[in-house]
Amino acid sequence: MKELALSVKNLSFQYPNQPKESVRNVTFQVRKGEWVALVGHNGSGKSTVAKLLMGLLKAKSGVIKIFDTILNEETIWDIRKRMGIVFQNPDNQFVGTTVQDDVAFGLENNGVPREQMIERVRAAIQQVGMEEFLLKEPHYLSGGQKQRVAIAGIIALQPDLIILDEATSMLDPKGRREVLEAIYNLNIKQNMTVISITHDLEEVVKADKVIVMNEGEVIAEGTPLQIFSLGEKLEEIRLDLPFVMKVRNELKKVGFPLQLNSVTLEELVDELWTLYLNK
Amino acid sequence: MMNMMIGRYVPGNSVIHRMDPRAKLLLVFMYVGIVFLANNSATYAVLTIFTLVLLLLLQVPFSFVIKGLRPILWIVLFTFLLHVFMTKEGAVLYQIGELTIYEGGIRQGIFISLRFLLFILITTWLTISTTPVEVTDAVESLFGPLKRFRVPVHELALMMSISLRFIPTLMEETEKIMKAQAARGVDFYGGPLGERIKAMISLLVPLFIHSFKRAEELAIAMEARGYRGGEGRTKYRLLTWRWFDTCLLVSVLAVAILLFLLRS
Repeated sequence: MKELALSVKNLSFQYPNQPKESVRNVTFQVRKGEWVALVGHNGSGKSTVAKLLMGLLKAKSGVIKIFDTILNEETIWDIRKRMGIVFQNPDNQFVGTTVQDDVAFGLENNGVPREQMIERVRAAIQQVGMEEFLLKEPHYLSGGQKQRVAIAGIIALQPDLIILDEATSMLDPKGRREVLEAIYNLNIKQNMTVISITHDLEEVVKADKVIVMNEGEVIAEGTPLQIFSLGEKLEEIRLDLPFVMKVRNELKKVGFPLQLNSVTLEELVDELWTLYLNK
Repeated sequence: MMNMMIGRYVPGNSVIHRMDPRAKLLLVFMYVGIVFLANNSATYAVLTIFTLVLLLLLQVPFSFVIKGLRPILWIVLFTFLLHVFMTKEGAVLYQIGELTIYEGGIRQGIFISLRFLLFILITTWLTISTTPVEVTDAVESLFGPLKRFRVPVHELALMMSISLRFIPTLMEETEKIMKAQAARGVDFYGGPLGERIKAMISLLVPLFIHSFKRAEELAIAMEARGYRGGEGRTKYRLLTWRWFDTCLLVSVLAVAILLFLLRS
């Protein structure tokens, strides 16, 4: 078993002036190098969990442990150095006046010497494929490009864990693909631990583990296939199955003997043509 | 509108563009001081020549400079006329009914409007060759010593640079809201003045609400990226002072001495 990157135990949180807890008794674990998707409909408490993990909100009860460090007021700044978060709105997290300034912002905050900064900014921008835009101002960039810059800003800090808080929900399909591609590369090539928070089950397909939340509680946990096979239960909590899964379910209904556990479009196509050949 | 707000930066690679923004800012401050030394034709001639040399060093088509002047030309003209009619000095030149124009009036009019023009030219010189970010960096660096007197220099500079960064974003948003409201039947351009002011409310309220939301999200994003105020921060941008910067500031001093000798 790989080392634990993050463990959350009995986490609860309540916003002031709210009758109910937004996060209730949440427990889950993330191993190093894993891609974990946290899914749920609006108001399910998934974004609140992200803010709790970053120490941007203070939990009512429960323990958050990042590697060997327990999150509290003394360790908060060290922990923020080890984790990065990409938020939903591309514009509202772009602090610098140009791409390179924005990537350098986190490094400046942590007092990294300038010579190192230049090196790390360049490397980070290269990793997300934004080299040509080094000196560009944010209003010349598309949403997807801004989010990639935000990711570069996090990579530059060389964290152990990246949280995506609905980072693709305001993007067009192209921007979404670009951002997911960048994250996927990080996860595969650098063994970066990724926690992706989303309400779009399409994004979940490539995850190692899926955690489903509803009304502040974890209601299911498993591989994408295990989660998708919950079927109607997902629709009850207003989550939409990915297109491939819907097609698969419909095909099964009309009598196709699908056996394999295909989740992606490619896998389904493979399964279908092998089925045809075997006839 | 955007051009007016962000200044009129023209990208280039002239000696002036490559100067340290601190030197340029200091030069403008010094210049504003020495303009007041000029009080006769000789001194104004020296100043004008010096300014023209500075503008030539920009290596930017002169039309850009003129474009910057156009909006304030009528103010210059107004200043000129005001002095022509109000100053009562020297020999009488013309007398038309109640109005008397004196020689001193014409001279004073020319001098004062020239002074005004020179001020505008030197700020245009700065904004053409320097990006707003560079100006912010220069301000932070030049006012750095004030930190000792608890002036929040770093915070002010950061505020400046964030505001500059958000100008285009807010412009875009304004446009979007205007279109959205126009689609709902709001008329921003026609109708009586009262109606148009009312229409502005439907623009300003959502704009303000969004701005507050943005500010909050930005603050959270900054905190998540480890922002803890100016202490212990390093800087990515580096300002480098070259010998040319010193030379130019010395030349301003030389002009100041010349003005002292020539002024009457």
